[in-house]
Amino acid sequence: MKSIIFYLLCIPYLILPLTASAETAEEAIKRAQAAFLYAGYDMKARVVMKLIAKDGKERMREMTMLRKDFEEGGDQKYFIYFYQPADVRNMSFMVWKYPKKDDDRWIFIPALNMVRKIAASDRRSSFVGSDFTYEDISGRDIEDDNHSFGKEEKVGERDCLVIKSVPKDEKGTDYSYKLSWIDKERSLPLKEEYYSKKGDIEKVFSADEVKELSGIFTITKRTMKNIANGHRTEVSFEKTEYNVKIEDGLFTERALKNPPKRWIE
Amino acid sequence: MKKFSLVEFSVDRPRLVVALAVIITLAFLTQFPKIRTDTNPKNMLPETSDVRVWNSEVEKTFGLYEDMIALGIKNEKGVLNRETLEKIDRITSEAVRLKGVASKDVTSFTTIDNVTVEGETLNVRPLMSVPPKTDEEVGALRKALFDNRMFINRIISKDEKTTAIFIPLEKGADGKEIADRLKEIVGKEKGDEKYYIAGDPVARDTFGAEMFKLMSIFAPIAGAVMLLVRYLMFRDFFLSVTLMMDAMISIVWSMGLLIALGFPVHIMSSMAPVFLMAIATDSVHIFNEFYFRYREKKDKRTAIVETMHAVGRPVRYTALATAAGFAVLLFMSIIPVRVFGGVVAFGTVALRLLSFSFIPAMFTFVKAEKMETASMSEDMETGRSSQILKALAGFGAHRPKVTVYAGLILLVIATIGLTKIKINNNMVEWFSKKSEVRIADRIMNESLGGTSLAYIVAISSEDDFIKTPEAMRHIEGLQRHLETLPVVGKTTSVADFVKRINRVLHNDDPAFDKVPDSKDEIGQFLFLFSMSAKPADLDNVVDYQFRKANIWVQLKTWDAQAMRDVIKAAEEYKAAHPIPMELRPAGTAYFNLVWNNEVLWDMVKGFVIALIAVFVILVFNFRSVKWAIIGYIPLLFTIILIFGVVGFIGKDFDMPISVLSCLSLGMAVDFAIHFIGRFKQRLAEQVPGESLSDALLWTTARPGKGIMRNALLFASAFSVMLFAPLTPYVTVGAFIASMMTLSALLTIIYLPALIVLFQKRLV
Repeated sequence: MKSIIFYLLCIPYLILPLTASAETAEEAIKRAQAAFLYAGYDMKARVVMKLIAKDGKERMREMTMLRKDFEEGGDQKYFIYFYQPADVRNMSFMVWKYPKKDDDRWIFIPALNMVRKIAASDRRSSFVGSDFTYEDISGRDIEDDNHSFGKEEKVGERDCLVIKSVPKDEKGTDYSYKLSWIDKERSLPLKEEYYSKKGDIEKVFSADEVKELSGIFTITKRTMKNIANGHRTEVSFEKTEYNVKIEDGLFTERALKNPPKRWIE
Repeated sequence: MKKFSLVEFSVDRPRLVVALAVIITLAFLTQFPKIRTDTNPKNMLPETSDVRVWNSEVEKTFGLYEDMIALGIKNEKGVLNRETLEKIDRITSEAVRLKGVASKDVTSFTTIDNVTVEGETLNVRPLMSVPPKTDEEVGALRKALFDNRMFINRIISKDEKTTAIFIPLEKGADGKEIADRLKEIVGKEKGDEKYYIAGDPVARDTFGAEMFKLMSIFAPIAGAVMLLVRYLMFRDFFLSVTLMMDAMISIVWSMGLLIALGFPVHIMSSMAPVFLMAIATDSVHIFNEFYFRYREKKDKRTAIVETMHAVGRPVRYTALATAAGFAVLLFMSIIPVRVFGGVVAFGTVALRLLSFSFIPAMFTFVKAEKMETASMSEDMETGRSSQILKALAGFGAHRPKVTVYAGLILLVIATIGLTKIKINNNMVEWFSKKSEVRIADRIMNESLGGTSLAYIVAISSEDDFIKTPEAMRHIEGLQRHLETLPVVGKTTSVADFVKRINRVLHNDDPAFDKVPDSKDEIGQFLFLFSMSAKPADLDNVVDYQFRKANIWVQLKTWDAQAMRDVIKAAEEYKAAHPIPMELRPAGTAYFNLVWNNEVLWDMVKGFVIALIAVFVILVFNFRSVKWAIIGYIPLLFTIILIFGVVGFIGKDFDMPISVLSCLSLGMAVDFAIHFIGRFKQRLAEQVPGESLSDALLWTTARPGKGIMRNALLFASAFSVMLFAPLTPYVTVGAFIASMMTLSALLTIIYLPALIVLFQKRLV
């Protein structure tokens, strides 16, 4: 009797790897993006970014980040309101993200009481001076890369799939390929390595803390380390809330100038 | 009990002595495979030196690179055409793939960020993401370039003919290697464009590599010429080779020791072999005397022992003086200077040891008949060269006052020249005018902002101070002030970015091309810029806390003086416009200035101490202060005359000259030591019926011949270097040749005059 129960208990563990390998690398990346970038219908978080230079000096960025998904794995809108550094308080920033074309970005400059659209030709440019690029924050179109499975590996205690993503068009990127370690169970990317066109490791992303918030596994602390120049950026997501019902009207130039109080407190 | 004599021992057991010398030499030779070279003149200052610590701190704070290569592209028809722009794109994308290149921070048309405005939209993107396909697009690019002042003279010349790609190097990358790879890349391009590769790392690493190459070519050639001249002098091949071996053995010993002790061979110590070869020529005096003695005694052993007895003292003391001249360098602060001094001093001592053992031992192997014929020409009465020498010395001895006054007049003139000497080092000028490095540097400095890069770091004590309008305006004002200097071609700072963004946000209105009035505006503009630009754009000009700003200053010359001018101008500006910010220089140009000051002043200091040390040795040698002063005069004259000429022709006191000064000291005094030593011996022998001037003439004809031979040997060997492609070698050749000739002449003409003039006090 005992042994039958034991075998029955084993069954899911025998099947699981099979189901995992039945999935293509592209699907795995898609699942990871959904878990990482599209969790919930919308999200509100207080984000603290620490930009740390090679000599250990730090620059702070503190902001409220509001995100609303308009299509799972598709269009998204971001609203970002800055608290720090002090002289940029009240600055706000909005991104309309479309997977298939360039983002639209607007910024509000309080000192001139002026909203300006910013042309976003380069998704690989830095996000607010950090080691994260816009693409690192909002994701890269899955179809822009060829994905393939590597070995399976543990990151910390977690079993991960390693996926290699090679950009189809090398011109648009500043790296030659990326390796992602994706948590098999929770689908979150726990580590990413970017390799330069010379083949050297260049940037490393790591998920430093994962918490379950209202049933959603969330990376609450992450670091992007630039191996080449010794910079790193540490980001912590504080007070993350999902499904807070952000209205469409937040993502307008008017709201950018006068953000509704309840979203930025 | 008889005192042990190395000479007699060597003459009695020549085979043992030669075998020992060979064994020791082989032992030192075993060290040679371990050789490590360090061709980087930068490493003359250790990484822990203040300037390198400070520079690397600045590099860390502002994400900068120690070294940068500037690749110039010039097209007489202008670079703003589709073909050239495509080449710029291709070359840039190939350059970023080179190993050792800091790819992310390569600056070129395709990577430099530009901030522009189109209607309500702000663009922050590379100036030229893709090469233009139509002439309209080329026109738009031209407008973009010349609308943004930050680009002019940096990446485009005013006449549109020249552009540059700035290629920073990762730590430890070899500038010459990367320059060579770049040459391959541009070599693949066809068309009217000309390419120029310039920058400190190129000059530095090329020079280091060339120097080692030249050393391995010129040292043997100099050696061969010496061998030939020796053969012509002594007519005996075996003995000429012996003289050569003497030098070779000491070179192997001292370089072997250097390597065994684990020191890398720096550019300075790579010159040690040539120097030792020069110092080794002193053994000519032994040969010279030996031939005379042999002719008189007809017995080899007696001739050898007597020769060594006669010349032993001067040879010992000249060696001591030379060794002391270099040994003082051991007490300097720059490590490679110490190593160099130590190696040459050791080599000199080794040479002398060989003079008393190896050389006498080798003499015993020469066949008597050969010696017979060779020494036939060594007749003091009839020998032609002896006659000429006597005539020269006669002039000094018979017209002492005229000679001394003529000398004094020369000296006064030379002193005027001496005051004109500038202590300056310009590595690019170490290359000949027609060399690629020099041409590249000249072309790029003519058309663009300058290849030599310095930084002025403005340091405040409060976070965010740089964002204040006061600080911004101060920085801007400083830039304008620095740009009034003719050596400054271009400056770049955070204020330039702020002004640019201010203008662009106000719909490109030139009235807003200025620093805004509030800190908030400045802070927000910079933040806005950082949202889209490469992080390096801002990192390179402000630190993380906005406490420090970095002002890039491009200089059109590598002269240390240019940096001195910049520092002075910055200080003037600071004094006239007080603000709680400190201004500190940094960067390669600043490093070169400090290097210049520390290394060269160290050498100057060593030189002065050596001057004193040599005098003390003379006092001991002659056991008389008066004689020491007399013996010192030819040395002093030689040095002042040479440096006088150096001053008049406008040659800077640079690294090669500084090294030579030490050598000149040790060598120029030799002749006086031989002359006075032998002269006093002659007086002591009290040859019946010989007057003081007769004794002087005898000294001139006999040891004097050795002196002339020594000088000739030197001059001929080193004049080979006049044909070297690197100017330091030309300098070395000219300097040594003229120094030896001068000090020989001064010894032979001037010393007799002085001795006659002051005979009452001396004798």
